[in-house]
Amino acid sequence: MEATADYSAERKYDFDVVRWFTIMAVVYLVVGAGVGVYIASELAWPFLNFDNPYISFGRLRPVHTNAVIFAFGGCTLMGTAYYTVQRTCGVSLWSNKLAWFTFWGWNAIILLAVITLPLGFTQSKEYAELEWPIDILIAVVWLAFTFNFIMTIANRKSSHIYVSNWFFLGMMVMIVYLHVVNSLSIPVGLMKSYSLFSGVQDAMIQWWWGHNAVGFYLTAGFLGIMYYFVPKQANRPIYSYRLSVIHFWALMFGYVWLGAHHLQYTALPDWTGSLGAAVSLAMIIPSWGGAVNGMMTLSGAWDKLRTDYVLRFLIIALAFYAMSTFEGPVMSLKTVNALSHYTDWTIGHVHSGALGWVAGISIGAIYHLMTRLWHTEMWSEKLVNVHFWTATIGTVIYVVAMWVSGIMQGLMWRAYDEYGTLAYTFVESVAAMHPYYAMRAVGGGIFLIGAMIMLFNVLMTVWKSVSAGSLREARGPTAVAAA
Amino acid sequence: MSSLAEYFETDWAAMTATDWVGTILTVVIFVLMIVAYFQVFRPKNRDKLEAKKHIPFEDDNEDRGDHDGRA
Repeated sequence: MEATADYSAERKYDFDVVRWFTIMAVVYLVVGAGVGVYIASELAWPFLNFDNPYISFGRLRPVHTNAVIFAFGGCTLMGTAYYTVQRTCGVSLWSNKLAWFTFWGWNAIILLAVITLPLGFTQSKEYAELEWPIDILIAVVWLAFTFNFIMTIANRKSSHIYVSNWFFLGMMVMIVYLHVVNSLSIPVGLMKSYSLFSGVQDAMIQWWWGHNAVGFYLTAGFLGIMYYFVPKQANRPIYSYRLSVIHFWALMFGYVWLGAHHLQYTALPDWTGSLGAAVSLAMIIPSWGGAVNGMMTLSGAWDKLRTDYVLRFLIIALAFYAMSTFEGPVMSLKTVNALSHYTDWTIGHVHSGALGWVAGISIGAIYHLMTRLWHTEMWSEKLVNVHFWTATIGTVIYVVAMWVSGIMQGLMWRAYDEYGTLAYTFVESVAAMHPYYAMRAVGGGIFLIGAMIMLFNVLMTVWKSVSAGSLREARGPTAVAAA
Repeated sequence: MSSLAEYFETDWAAMTATDWVGTILTVVIFVLMIVAYFQVFRPKNRDKLEAKKHIPFEDDNEDRGDHDGRA
């Protein structure tokens, strides 16, 4: 019955572009995590810079962030958005050609990032380093993605738009707005430009973008994934649809205020930081509402977690989401921020969200998609379980190392002796961090091994489907007869 | 109490156009959020909204249109 339904969906919807986005997402997960482990190792063992500017930490760090956020995250978001909008609206994509344009356009952007960033072309804006011609290309491709998504919704069969599509749409609209404003600059050459803003206004615009890239791209978009894939994998509807509606509107209205909490104790007016912190605290309510909503979907069926490894990824991701959305508001408070800011605690916080939440929910969704898109079971269920444990253990080691390192760093920086002078030199704090930097590289390495296992398992599943002719059968006349 | 009043004291005459736009938007969004909470948690709307949670499970229904998405 399930196979027949999938065969029917295969003929009805445009899944080829989804398949390619899915495969590329896994490839970029390995590449992005690989670069991350290398630069983490450079911090622990600086000789790994080899006095080569192209592979130095400063140039590879944006390659890592762009690869994991925009290459892995972007391909996951585009693939899952194209998949879920078709399945929840009961129609194929408004334009399959436009979807392919977004696939090739997005991958071209990634390629340009990999070339230009090591060469040193950068706007020096965090998570928005790419120079102006690439920024324009991003805007064009993202608008094509958004337009295709909106038009597919407009063609839908059902009167209601399912909540996952709301989250995807919220992300798309806000990212257009944020990306365009943050990227406003005056070009002075093909690969050089200066921001239209200056001083503290530039800093505010930068973190208005920076935190909303987290809020709308890395949270709202992936919540769209959560609201479709958790119920589907658990084979149970979401715990409370009403809660999901409130989750959506509270997130949309609340997140845009938070950016200023990145700029506590700077030239930014004090009240803006306080406002950012106050709204950050208020955001715990909808965030936890959403996390509980996802987890309680398993209410009465928790035993599924014993045998369903994919569901484990999705649920542990929600646990990390709840943890990160509590930790973030706490760190935004001025008293805590005085200790945590500019330390590795921030790096630990970011990675509990990035590895635990974003990667976890993405990996769960991708495993779910593999069986539906290639019409076969995973090549190895055991390897999915091995991946779950490597990803979880690697993330925990990484995050704990950065928590300890960050808090120690903050305490050392502000320690005074009886004469009122600093108790430690800066280099002493750097030396004290070394064991934790090594521990971070090990944690990241374990996570990377899991990602490589996933890539192997995914490729073997594709090979299995091709060998057995599963996809061909789903598309072909046999499938028509079966349906 | 007087310090609290002092804390919230506002020089309305000094408000710029930008300040007013921000203030009005903030109040409007706050009111809209209250409307959203009221509508969503109103007992009358419960069944209507909760019925939508089954949408992801309706996608295997083959009667929902052809490849072009039109019935």
